[in-house]
Amino acid sequence: MDMSTTGVRPARTSLLRSPALGSTLPWVLLTVIAVTLPLFAGGYWGVIATRACVYWVLVAGLNLLVGFAGQLAIGWVALLTVGAYVTSVLAAGNVMPALDPYLALAIAGVAGAIFGVIVGLPALRLRTFYYAITTLGFATIVRQIVLAWASVTGGGVGVPGPIFHPPFDSPWGFYYLCLIFAAVCTWMTANIAGSRFGRALTALRDAEVAAEASGIAKSKLLMVVFLFSGATAAIAGGLFASLQSYITPDAFTTELSVLFFIGVLIGGRGSIIGPLLGTILLTVLPEFAAPLVAWSTFLYAVLLLVIVLAIPGGIAELIDFKNRRPLQSNRAIVPRPDLLKRLLTQDTEPGRLTLEQVALSFGGVRAIDGLDLTIIPGQVHGLIGPNGSGKTTTLNVISGYYTPQGGVAKLDGVVLTELAHHARAHMRIARTFQTPRIVGEASVLENVMIGGTIDGRGTFVESLLSLPRHHKDEKMLRESAMLALSAVGLEQLAGVRADRLQHSELRFIEIARALMLRPAFLLLDEPAAGLSAEEIRRLGALVVAISQAGTGVLLVEHHADLIFDICHHVTVLNLGKMLAAGTPAEIRSHREVVNAYLGG
Amino acid sequence: MVLSIVLSGLAIGCIYALIGIAYNVMYSASRVFSFTAGTLGMAGGILGSLFILKMGLPSWSGFILALAGGAMLGVVTEIVAVRPVLKSLDQHLYVLSTLALALIVQQFAAIEWGTDAQPFPRIFNLERNNFDQQFWLPMLACVVTIVGLEVLYRRTLIGHAFLAIAEDNYAARALGLPERNLRMTSYALAGVIGALAGFAGGQMMLAFFDNATQLTFYGFVPVALGGMGNNRGAVVAGIVLGLFQQAANFLVGGVFASVAVFAAFILVLLARPEGLANVALGRRV
Amino acid sequence: MPTSAANPPSAAEPLLRVTGLSTGYGKVGVLRGVDLTINAGEVVALLGPNGAGKTTLLRAISGLLPWQGSVSFAGRDLSGAGPRETVKAGLAHVIEGHRVFTQQSVVDNLLLAAYDLPRGERSARVEEALGYFPEIAEKRHQRAVALSGGQQQMLAVAQGLVQRPRLLMLDEPSAGLSPVLVDRVFDVVRKLRETGTAVLLVEQLIEKALALADRVYALARGSIVLEAATSEADLPHRLEHAYFASAPAAAE
Repeated sequence: MDMSTTGVRPARTSLLRSPALGSTLPWVLLTVIAVTLPLFAGGYWGVIATRACVYWVLVAGLNLLVGFAGQLAIGWVALLTVGAYVTSVLAAGNVMPALDPYLALAIAGVAGAIFGVIVGLPALRLRTFYYAITTLGFATIVRQIVLAWASVTGGGVGVPGPIFHPPFDSPWGFYYLCLIFAAVCTWMTANIAGSRFGRALTALRDAEVAAEASGIAKSKLLMVVFLFSGATAAIAGGLFASLQSYITPDAFTTELSVLFFIGVLIGGRGSIIGPLLGTILLTVLPEFAAPLVAWSTFLYAVLLLVIVLAIPGGIAELIDFKNRRPLQSNRAIVPRPDLLKRLLTQDTEPGRLTLEQVALSFGGVRAIDGLDLTIIPGQVHGLIGPNGSGKTTTLNVISGYYTPQGGVAKLDGVVLTELAHHARAHMRIARTFQTPRIVGEASVLENVMIGGTIDGRGTFVESLLSLPRHHKDEKMLRESAMLALSAVGLEQLAGVRADRLQHSELRFIEIARALMLRPAFLLLDEPAAGLSAEEIRRLGALVVAISQAGTGVLLVEHHADLIFDICHHVTVLNLGKMLAAGTPAEIRSHREVVNAYLGG
Repeated sequence: MVLSIVLSGLAIGCIYALIGIAYNVMYSASRVFSFTAGTLGMAGGILGSLFILKMGLPSWSGFILALAGGAMLGVVTEIVAVRPVLKSLDQHLYVLSTLALALIVQQFAAIEWGTDAQPFPRIFNLERNNFDQQFWLPMLACVVTIVGLEVLYRRTLIGHAFLAIAEDNYAARALGLPERNLRMTSYALAGVIGALAGFAGGQMMLAFFDNATQLTFYGFVPVALGGMGNNRGAVVAGIVLGLFQQAANFLVGGVFASVAVFAAFILVLLARPEGLANVALGRRV
Repeated sequence: MPTSAANPPSAAEPLLRVTGLSTGYGKVGVLRGVDLTINAGEVVALLGPNGAGKTTLLRAISGLLPWQGSVSFAGRDLSGAGPRETVKAGLAHVIEGHRVFTQQSVVDNLLLAAYDLPRGERSARVEEALGYFPEIAEKRHQRAVALSGGQQQMLAVAQGLVQRPRLLMLDEPSAGLSPVLVDRVFDVVRKLRETGTAVLLVEQLIEKALALADRVYALARGSIVLEAATSEADLPHRLEHAYFASAPAAAE
């Protein structure tokens, strides 16, 4: 295998440089230009650059929400409004003695965090389009409240923005203040993007069911991100108010809100540099689209349409040269089952996983009708049957996705009652899916690391600030993931974008991801579908090795050969009921089974 | 006073209901929502004012041309913003493409037509009274649309075909129904309905580019509350919304009315299953 | 009953000739080089285990899925043809799962199948199709949701018949049906053969399919593993062997 074409990214997360920043060159250029700007640009461009920094403080946080978490928050200007007015009113002394502008800014940040969570809560329950419209409503409401509450906000007349202490009170001084905020926001969001939280967000966005099966708690994580994005947007609001010197409700239009949202998408999801360039473009465009401001919005919208239709990955995809390098074409998947012992260390002996008289109906159809099943650690249990017999539904019940209406599922004699979809991962029950659920835009290694998210010990804040425990987690996850990839035979593709891989490779990646949980029980949903004969043979050997390491495996399959080759025990389902159960030899010659399987 | 509230509430409610129906017709044809519904309403008002006031055409010609403009916008939406993204693996691209198109059209209107609200002509040469045409025109438009759609869906083969595509797109294709043409025609129909809302409501809302934003939101509320694709629900919800809004405006004043409407909208949406993200219409796993 | 074949069945030129057909869904290849022929007026059964690709093959032939290879029907090359074109050419596909338009009446469901026909002909075609299924003819104005599963399956087949196809493809018409209703549907297939309509029948019920069909193909692991006339001996055993034998090295 030629490492030069598919090399792995260096496994380095230093204090300053998160892997999410991509290649260094654009950042060096930007920093140099930004820091030396007063030397070659006039005051007019200084204001524009300041505005770009202020916008970026908001968009950096929004990027985590929209680009990484995939939430369609198109009304985020509401947070900018809240932050601008809280800062200005507190600093101007309208309702209470004037506060120090930094303190006002901090309070605005807190207000933004709280309001961010409020705006975020509907996202947990509403479909995407509905949520997008809801955020538009929030933006309008906030603006109207500001307009009406004239005693505090000055209504249509407005209020003066805060002025910061010297040396930040001069135009260039203020520019450097905003630049500092922008740099800090870049650093913090890049840290999150390169952490298990950032990967968990993309997993929720692109493969929600798989994310939950890996133990990721959607509500909690999203609320934290809404909180953070709300805070940064509000702080951007305070800076914005200072930049404008005087704010009125007219400044916070729906157009501006949609433009921020578009900026993230033009930049490209899952990227930091992309949305930054998108924001700079957004700020600078009106200067070139004179005389009418509306033309710049028009052009920006045209750009979004072009990107959606032609380059969905945005600017980030355009500058992503690493992932254009050709892959070796005759790739083989060569698992190394001997590595499994190192990966699957078991602390305690898990008991058996049992289903007792489980029943489940959808509409009027009985999908499972009184089923008994036992999965024993260290053995491979096959589950076969015609289409519609209830195989995958059974697997979904064991993985916790469905709750049985009758009967119980038990682990080690204890009834499993957890209703949350992400709970089973904590019991070390892992699974794969009929159609591979992966994050196409992330690398193979990152996809596998998602499987180990719940093993991280560091908190969101520790990742945000690049503290030691975050780095320890990353190192641990990276090493485990490489080990898992090596065990399934795909370590040479670790740095490659997952959507460039063949279908069969994606199946093995799902297994590697599942192994990250060091599962006591592994549930495989038709893993052989779409694999060549040789790949099926290797899959079989891998599954046998996994069971020999102590894991109990449930193998749902159509491929009779694979079932009869590697299973210790086979259950045959038909119409939701057990038709027969026994060793492969017994099943193979069971008349009724042959008939049901072949039909007749 | 009460009469005025009721009339204006019914009228604005019918405008919202018609936009909601435009959303629904597009949704039934393609299984996606388009941000352009509100823009269609804006276009109806602006085109009406353009043709009749600015260009001096007779009312009927202006009306027909405004509806034709809406139909064209609908077809453009389908070709440019919906068809290309339906095949994509990324399920939410349609939000971006229709948002982009809606913004493009709205900004174009702001540039060419101006950002001020401009007057909309009186259609019929009648004296102003309590039950004025600015109130009953939207109501008439709503009734005509509902009856027309009923006839279309129940009694014409093409209407049956629309229903078939909406109910089971795959089975309709397999049967040999011209799915793409039907979708395009549905979008043209939605364009006509949206433009009708804007034209009939022109005297109340004026010819104003910012109507697009207002109608995008308030036109979606009937859909969210009445049920996706449910036109009768949209009418009921739209009228309730209009009455509630006008009553609140009168009783507590503009801002609190908006907040009340919005709060009610969010609460009902969170409680109603149709708006929930976790409703499994099929097996997700 | 009018025949559907303009010319008498000819032994020389097959009605449907599929050569080297490959297709799949996204990245997953399902069919690899399928060869199949159907002659005018014959009933051919397509059998095979789950996941073998039987439904996929039908979808490719009728144009619901893109494919590589070659498909010709009544002498016409079907490259790039979608379902609308294949229906017009005389190829009807009754999909799996008795999916009819539940919110519309039986008659309306049938009228939709006649969408591309001249208006005057539609009612006649609908009556003709209903003639095969008196059970649903008497419920003609009821909405399809009021029909039982078996009656909905009959309605779905009737939709195919409205189009007066030269070849009717049925995807597991027996699924979820009681034996009595299965026999009814199979009776209709016999009648169709008498009128010269060819039928391609995908089925899970091996014995009944073998009793009905003239020839049988077995599809497993993405390609044809057996082709035989149903008059040949020992077919059930040979089929079982074909299903469970180790696959030949598959081309990637």
